[in-house]
Amino acid sequence: MINLKLIARIIGVLLLIESAMLLFCSGVSLFYQGDDLTSFIYTAIISAIVGVLLTFLSKGAEKYLSRRDGYLVVALSWIVVSIVGTIPFYHSGYIPNLADAYFESISGFSSTGSTILDNIEELPHGILFWRSLSQWIGGLGIIVFTIAILPLFGVSSIQLFAAESSSPSYDKVHPRISVTAKWIWGIYAGLTALQTGLLWLGDMSFFDSICHSFATTSTGGFSTKQSSIAFYHSSYIEYVISFFMIFSGINFTVLLLMLTGKFKKIIKNSELKYYLTSVIILTLIITVGLNYTSNYDLEKAFRVALFQIGSIHTSTGFATDNYMSWAPFLWGLLFIPMIVGACAGSTSGGFKCIRMVILSKITFHEFKRMIHPNVVLRVKVNEQTLPNTIQSTILAFSFTFILITLTSTLLIMATGVEFLESFGVVISSISNMGPGFGRFGPDFSWSGLPEVAKWICSFLMLIGRLELFTILLLLTPGFWKD
Amino acid sequence: MKIIIAGAGAVGTHLAKLLSSEKQDIILLDEDEERLETLNSNFDLMTHIGSPTSINCLKEVDVKSADLFIAVTPDESRNITACMLASNLGAGKTVARIDNHEYLQPKNKDFFKELGVDSLIYPELLAAEEIISAMKMSWVRQWWEFCDGAIVLIGVRIRENAELLDTTLSELSSSESPFHIVAIKRNQETIIPRGKDTIELNDIVYFTTTKKYISYIRKVTGKEDYPDVRNIMIMGGSRIAARTAEYAPDYINIKILDTNIDRCNRLSEALDNRIMILNGDARDMDLLIDEGIRHTDAFIALTGNSESNILACLAAKRMGVAKTIAEVENVDFIPMAESLDIGTIINKKFITASHIYQMMLDVDVSNVKCLTFADADVAEFTVKKDSRVTKKTVQHLGIPKGFAIGGLVRNGEGILVNGDTQIKEGDHVVVFCLNTMIKKIEKLFN
Repeated sequence: MINLKLIARIIGVLLLIESAMLLFCSGVSLFYQGDDLTSFIYTAIISAIVGVLLTFLSKGAEKYLSRRDGYLVVALSWIVVSIVGTIPFYHSGYIPNLADAYFESISGFSSTGSTILDNIEELPHGILFWRSLSQWIGGLGIIVFTIAILPLFGVSSIQLFAAESSSPSYDKVHPRISVTAKWIWGIYAGLTALQTGLLWLGDMSFFDSICHSFATTSTGGFSTKQSSIAFYHSSYIEYVISFFMIFSGINFTVLLLMLTGKFKKIIKNSELKYYLTSVIILTLIITVGLNYTSNYDLEKAFRVALFQIGSIHTSTGFATDNYMSWAPFLWGLLFIPMIVGACAGSTSGGFKCIRMVILSKITFHEFKRMIHPNVVLRVKVNEQTLPNTIQSTILAFSFTFILITLTSTLLIMATGVEFLESFGVVISSISNMGPGFGRFGPDFSWSGLPEVAKWICSFLMLIGRLELFTILLLLTPGFWKD
Repeated sequence: MKIIIAGAGAVGTHLAKLLSSEKQDIILLDEDEERLETLNSNFDLMTHIGSPTSINCLKEVDVKSADLFIAVTPDESRNITACMLASNLGAGKTVARIDNHEYLQPKNKDFFKELGVDSLIYPELLAAEEIISAMKMSWVRQWWEFCDGAIVLIGVRIRENAELLDTTLSELSSSESPFHIVAIKRNQETIIPRGKDTIELNDIVYFTTTKKYISYIRKVTGKEDYPDVRNIMIMGGSRIAARTAEYAPDYINIKILDTNIDRCNRLSEALDNRIMILNGDARDMDLLIDEGIRHTDAFIALTGNSESNILACLAAKRMGVAKTIAEVENVDFIPMAESLDIGTIINKKFITASHIYQMMLDVDVSNVKCLTFADADVAEFTVKKDSRVTKKTVQHLGIPKGFAIGGLVRNGEGILVNGDTQIKEGDHVVVFCLNTMIKKIEKLFN
């Protein structure tokens, strides 16, 4: 039933790729003469050996990937890759605790950006680069990354894509998925390169520029500085990063349409409208609010608001200001973008704007139906009717999202954390955001969390990144039965 | 003029009969022998059994000598193919019936012309346009424009509150009245009125006028308090209903009722959200009351069943709906529906046929334009040099009984005709006459 050989083969290839990435990091380490060189080389060798072994053992695998295999391979790749990614942190001794090391690794690969490190500036360049690189790889998804390569093995990758993007609207832009994936990959790399250039122009070192661009395009949020972007005290850098964060929150297929000049289709995109409107309105409210309550001048209030909304709406998690010092209403407002997230098909996490659009339409229709019981209403998104099955999927998703959030909050409270902090940590993890609230806000790391809570958060980041269902499905008995 | 009609369906047959009575050479083409049989023996036209998309068959009917090729089979792509073949084989002008309004977009017009299809007809859209214009002018029964709207013909039913009631025509026309009454329809019978005739209750009076005096006619016929249509209910989610909903002005609230859930779903997907689609039977009075039939200004019945449409309209009238429109495809029911006081009758066949007819007249070189209207003919003549009408003023012409001059268009401007009017060479004159008189009148103008 489950094509273990092919799954092993795919994981093996992924490990070989990761090994290459690790070797690249050891190059960085060598260049900066860091003491983390051996860790990277060891990990690369382990990764390569396992990878070769897996590919060798899986010779002659049947080149057919069932739906079940697709889900399994997605879940396994994230788990395996993040476990391997843990080794450099742990082995180099910079993160001596296993829970912390895995937390940092999964926070990277799920492009969350929460950190347990309190001494980021003391870390060697290799480790810092590895953190950012893991986000970049994780950002668009290890799988989308391999989709450009998988067809080379002659495996049809459509099932993989279905599992990876369980988001409701995926407009096909090219009849062949591997071509689409290459395009998306190209845009992704292009955005990163452009941002690196722009940041480099603005008094940031080349190394930091690359790391921050990695963390922006992937909407991850790892910084190479303990105080994040606030370290630079540069409005230019803040505006550039704000722009790229907001841009990275847009559906990549929409970006592709933009690139090919199909603006008519873009204007009709209801998710994009919702997202941009939400960004603008929230930014304006917070600008005015800060201007009144925190004696920021208008430009600073706007800059801080734009940056913070961009950062939180897209689940990046960079910070230029400690929002916990704002008026309670203003930081409370941040819960909305934190839960909602940006567009489906982008690298951002969270509930996704498209689901908000659809849910609000379903709700509105319910009210209408109460007055006109016979009315026939179909939910339309971008002028296309949504099948009923997708509507119920979304309702089930919302239910699961709420249920998991509440249960996890209770679990973390059980480890002795306050309600606001627990809730913030859970929302932040499941939405792949980064900072939380209270003692886990942008000015603090999450090192103070109890160990159990860190494991819970790691799990939440994993399921949040894979849109809940991909991982939860593996936990249902039905998945393992024929 | 040689005209080939492909497809002896309802529209094709109606058109063939209409045109053959106009002394045109009609060849009706269809694969089904049975359909052609009765036509061949009863009407003055030729029928041919064969496929309109067969080159051989088209050659047999000598398509290259045809001035007009009309494809009205039920299948859109077949019509287009037939037209392409016909025009490439040498037919003069081609017309295809379609069911896809994407093709009708002006930017695609040249594209189809290049393919060899000169005109496209979309009957459902034409019907929808008729319904919308009936709603915009809900107090008017019928509305017709001549010479690009320079002269307008409107039919209005006279009720108790009309100022015109019980007056004679001579009283009305003595002054410089801004309208001219050209025909009266009284109990199934159409009269071309003379000065002595009076206007009676329940008459449908046909006025010719120019556009600026329409509000005056509304006043004298007592229709000023007639409500403007803002809320409408459509029974039956047919294609006409969909097109009506699509092209209706934004201020009109539309509810479409259909019993078929699949069709409701499809409509809901295709149409804008402001149109409410209801799954239910429009003959269910409780549902209608729930959905606010009492505040509805117009009820439109567009199901495939003529009887249901008529009955539903009657029911709606009893619930107090001012304006009713029914689609009646069964030709025999039309007079009955009219006598039952249903506001506007929609018949796809008639609408399509008259549209094609008008198109045909455009290519015709002769100066007579004619269309059948309420049992009377409306003809448009271009006055020739030294014709009899130019010799005297209208009152001294000795116009025969059963004939009325509705108005004339001189240099693009509409002018109403009274006794002192002098008709000149080059004027376009709109005349009304009872069916058989057209040839007699032609002499006056030539």
